[in-house]
Amino acid sequence: MIPLPEHDGNHQVLFLRNVKFTYESGVDALKGVTLEVDSGEYIAVVGGNGSGKTTLAKHMNGLLRPSVGQVVVSGGDSSTMTPAQMARVVGYAFQNPDHQLFCGTVQEEVSFGPGNMGLPADEVKRRADGAIEVMGLSEVRGKPPLSLPLGLRRRVSIASVIAMDPKVFVFDEPTTGLDANEADELMAIIRKLNGEGKAVVLITHEMKLVAEHANRVVVMAEGRIVLDSDTRGAFSDIELLRRSKLLPPPVTQLAHKLSQMGVSRDILTPQELVFELTRGDDD
Amino acid sequence: MTGLLDLYSEKGSFLHRLDPRVKLLAVLLLSVLAFMLSELLPLVLLLAFILLLLALSKSSFGKAFFALKFVVRLMVLITLLWPLFDRSGTPVLFSIGPLDITEPAIWRGVTSAVRIGCFATVWYILMFTTQQRDLVRALVKLGLRFDYGLALSISFRFIPTFGLTIESIKDAQRARALELDKGSFIRRSKNYVSVLVPAVVSALRTADTLALTLQSRAYGAFRDRTYLREIRMRPSDYVALAVAVLALLLPALAKYVYGVPL
Repeated sequence: MIPLPEHDGNHQVLFLRNVKFTYESGVDALKGVTLEVDSGEYIAVVGGNGSGKTTLAKHMNGLLRPSVGQVVVSGGDSSTMTPAQMARVVGYAFQNPDHQLFCGTVQEEVSFGPGNMGLPADEVKRRADGAIEVMGLSEVRGKPPLSLPLGLRRRVSIASVIAMDPKVFVFDEPTTGLDANEADELMAIIRKLNGEGKAVVLITHEMKLVAEHANRVVVMAEGRIVLDSDTRGAFSDIELLRRSKLLPPPVTQLAHKLSQMGVSRDILTPQELVFELTRGDDD
Repeated sequence: MTGLLDLYSEKGSFLHRLDPRVKLLAVLLLSVLAFMLSELLPLVLLLAFILLLLALSKSSFGKAFFALKFVVRLMVLITLLWPLFDRSGTPVLFSIGPLDITEPAIWRGVTSAVRIGCFATVWYILMFTTQQRDLVRALVKLGLRFDYGLALSISFRFIPTFGLTIESIKDAQRARALELDKGSFIRRSKNYVSVLVPAVVSALRTADTLALTLQSRAYGAFRDRTYLREIRMRPSDYVALAVAVLALLLPALAKYVYGVPL
């Protein structure tokens, strides 16, 4: 039998079907969200505070269970899986690294996740070494992670997720508190992971990051997905973004203002705008 | 979670408006009264009075139910367990093996249950109707050193925050494939190290930041401080105080001076 061709070699790794979730306090945080994540995708989930972004992310690795609906992980229904089992497929880097670091050395810290997965010791070491290498932590591998500066602590916490080698990475506001250089380095590493075929779900407020990195934007408002499109499409509807308490990056806003002069509305980076303005009127 | 830790709810009952010092004193007096009374009937009357106060406090049904559920469970437990440990008195109603269940012991159990019911409910009413900061303010007004009062109110303030932090830490470790409640007792205790260390570290970091924040707002510049909201006794507060004092004094007189069996 000839196997069915997979388009672009991508296949579904995570699927949330009509997920609704109500907190004990009675807040309806998700009111029916359907989202498919394919391998190799780079999705930005954006929305104002309280729009349900983090609640959605916590459904992706089983920290929260849907009140209604279904979460399918790697083709299987997740309702019988524990968060520990789901963590093999979906890695979640928390916003605050101080909520997870506890070991005596960076090496131990990064080995904690794969160790919990019950892998043999040499495999744990191989993965930890790989993750430490990728995150540029070789020089501090013997140091206590809690005594490192914030930028490095954040990297250790991300290395500890990379070492688990999941198919999907969820990053919750990964650049908070980092300076421009640290943030750029981190985003480059995330891009590299994405290039290796990992799906990336980036939860953020920072529209600049979204414009520069994501291929797909999911806009959330009041527990619903109000827009799910490629990044260009998302930034061309400035009114919808505004209703969702979001502002596109300044360069896109400028392009919108210049649209009467014939500038395209879907500019995402300064380079594109420069190109657009200098290309001449040869048409 | 925070809903259960912060029992106060903003309502406009006369109990909410009462001076917190009067409330605190009244609760202490009623507690003493509950332990002074030893007969069932007056205790039942006291419980009825306290339940009436609870109703008048306009507490939200959810919170009142939560509190009463706890109180009723405690009362049932006392009623059931008391006769098992107190084997004095006659007549013996029945025996289970070496245990003699006597009639007076059953009544003593019921009496104690009602007493504990009065005691617990009255403190719940205080927590339902008084903001923590007002309670601390009352204690400071009654002579507690201001910095102790501040320490107390800060600890109250951070209980829910700390609870949320611990939940977040547990989530973070679960996301690293940790199964917190799996395995032997020793295994599980070891698992909790990964929650405990970040919890202590974040508490210390919070305390550090808080100390800086306090200092940057000139905390400690003077031994004492002035208050934006002064608490003052109003006529109605004096009436309430008098009622509370009489509620203890009259039965005490009746019982210890005139020998009325109460």
